[in-house]
Amino acid sequence: MHADLSLARKLSAGDAEAFRSLVRAQHHRLILLATGFTQSRAIAEEVVQDAWVVVMENIDAYEGRSALSAWIAGIVVNKARARARKEQRMISFEAMADADGPAIAPEKFAADGHWADGMPAWEVVTPERLLGARQLLRKVAEALEGLPPAQRVAVLLRDVEGLEPAEICRQLDISEVNLRVLLHRARNRLREAADEDLRIK
Amino acid sequence: MLTCQSLSDDAAAYMDASLPAPRRLRIKAHLLFCPACRRYLQQLKIAMGLARHAATEPPPPEVEERLVSMFRQARRQDPPG
Repeated sequence: MHADLSLARKLSAGDAEAFRSLVRAQHHRLILLATGFTQSRAIAEEVVQDAWVVVMENIDAYEGRSALSAWIAGIVVNKARARARKEQRMISFEAMADADGPAIAPEKFAADGHWADGMPAWEVVTPERLLGARQLLRKVAEALEGLPPAQRVAVLLRDVEGLEPAEICRQLDISEVNLRVLLHRARNRLREAADEDLRIK
Repeated sequence: MLTCQSLSDDAAAYMDASLPAPRRLRIKAHLLFCPACRRYLQQLKIAMGLARHAATEPPPPEVEERLVSMFRQARRQDPPG
């Protein structure tokens, strides 16, 4: 959090290059987050721009109680929900947690409930491995972008921005049970996307 | 006896430490003897980390410049040059 407070102080002081770095790091995933509510990419881009304006004008209000990126993501969620309501595009996250089939296809398990394929090992994923892993990261990015909206929002807020479950439930107005269902499904899809590249053959 | 399928249903809750203690203990006991499930949970964790790396495409240059310009105005700084 110390690094985030230091960054916030730079932004307060008008450090445009610090702001540029922040935009480069976070803008795309904020768009992915906003499309989970707005469905339309064009509307999501407007929502995220509006959220950046709130950040620019209110950075002095950031107190470091959460990560800066989580604070910004929360602003996007509020803006996106308000816009979706206005456009009458609201989706029920509760309903989306109930929809869809099982998170893992039943045929992945043997009749006795064990993993049918024994869960083959993956190559070791080191930071060095990641540097050259364009195909792997592209597959995971595509899987992330292809998630149903509610699953994408859940995994972005929890696993990418690091918000606590209770805070996510408050922001999305869903139960913790439904959040877990969304996360379970999303994480399994992301695992399957990575499995193609990382499974030791 | 907890099965791998049953454990997989609770994977998200287990990873977020939001299971009741008795259920959590049963899962820990299963993991002691099931390398396949240990790999499954580790792979989920790796996939979550990959998502953090994957969602980092930079914005189009014109979007970036527009936002930086708005930032300078908002913080009352003149643009360079």
